[in-house]
Amino acid sequence: MASDATTPTKIKKLSPGEIQILWADGHETRHLAPLLRGLCPCASCQDEMTGQRVILPIHIPDSLEFKKIELVGQYAVHFEFSDSHGTGIYSYEYLRELCRCPQCAR
Amino acid sequence: MAIWNREKDGPVTEEKVLDILKRVQDPDLRKDIVSLGFIRNLKVDGGNVAFDLNLTTPACPVKDQMRDEAVALVKGLAGVQNVDVKMTAEVRQTPQMDRTALKGVKNIIAVGSGKGGVGKSTVAVNIATSLAAEGTAVGLLDGDIYGPTMPIMLGIDQPPKSVNNKMIPQESAGIRFMSMGLLVKSDQPLIWRGPMAHRALQQCLFDVEWGELDYLVVDLPPGTGDIHLTLAQQVPLTGAVIVSTPQDVGLRISMKTLRMFQQTRVPILGIVENMSYYICPHCESRDYIFGEGGAKRAAAELDIPFLGEVPLDLAIRQQSDAGSPIVISKPDSASAKTLREISRKVAAQVSIRSFATLPVLEVE
Repeated sequence: MASDATTPTKIKKLSPGEIQILWADGHETRHLAPLLRGLCPCASCQDEMTGQRVILPIHIPDSLEFKKIELVGQYAVHFEFSDSHGTGIYSYEYLRELCRCPQCAR
Repeated sequence: MAIWNREKDGPVTEEKVLDILKRVQDPDLRKDIVSLGFIRNLKVDGGNVAFDLNLTTPACPVKDQMRDEAVALVKGLAGVQNVDVKMTAEVRQTPQMDRTALKGVKNIIAVGSGKGGVGKSTVAVNIATSLAAEGTAVGLLDGDIYGPTMPIMLGIDQPPKSVNNKMIPQESAGIRFMSMGLLVKSDQPLIWRGPMAHRALQQCLFDVEWGELDYLVVDLPPGTGDIHLTLAQQVPLTGAVIVSTPQDVGLRISMKTLRMFQQTRVPILGIVENMSYYICPHCESRDYIFGEGGAKRAAAELDIPFLGEVPLDLAIRQQSDAGSPIVISKPDSASAKTLREISRKVAAQVSIRSFATLPVLEVE
């Protein structure tokens, strides 16, 4: 459910392979394209019923980049990557959950 | 501008007028009308004060109250003799609507329900026509691809004309509308799987020359399917109105629709209770056929606005079937008044949402 921690105020592409998300609670998240691609939530990257992952970050080359970034309604972001994969819809909750900053990783 | 000295209190100045007007609060936006920028064209000429009170919708439910309050306060200033207030309105655009293919549309309001047959389309068409009657530009999209009802309710079933590959919406009762029922003969069923319905909705939304609209009302089919998801993903919806009967079973299913909107972060503008009671045409006694106050309680529990109770009224049904919504054909009837009040509350909720902040996307 929507809270400040899962409400972005700004989503910025820092480089071809990195985005920055600023959240309403003041937190900052940086995401690399290969990690997001490797944890794509779409039905072909993750089994719909069991949730078991078909694609993992280790399958993705480090050089992967973002090709297109769009907002989906008011709840998610859609990425198309340089390998042409673009079926995942990343909810704001999921993007926050994936934050790998030292504070969140603890 | 001529400002002359009056006796002991000094002249009336724009500053003094603005200062006193800061005491008028917009009860919905919870800010004073000066900070909100509602005061325009302020002119002080000796003891004569004139200004425009520019609201965020002409359908504001408290506009008279705010005007009266403003006039009384300014009149109370020493040296003021006449106060001339012109009421104007400018509907604000929902943030990020301008980055979609519907740049000319300021707000999109979805009307949904859990189960069918609760009078969703009747409520939607009456909200749309009420808002138009207040002087706003309104469009209505019949999102029910499989069971379109708008051609019947608005009395037009001719296919829309097409210019430059865009369909021109039909016009009736002061609104522009689009429906699958205009494209398919009324007795012909559409036997389509989800992706076709998704595509059809996209066309009815994006391939229509809506022009400039203050409000686009979308009458959703019941449930939580393809159409809902398409809409929640492709446009930044200003918000959703949930229609329910007072009955427990109807309400519980409505909660599913409500949760779907919450999960996709579509703001809930409020709940309308339809078929709240039946007024006997012979003795005028009220019967609460489906129970009393169910939706109001649910709204209070969920902390969302309760927009009103619409009675089970023969006239509403007759006017809908005759192709002329009751708020237009019988504007003085009790049911029309109720529906008009509901539409004003919807407009007020839309105004609140238009001040919301959404994420800034910097990807180029």
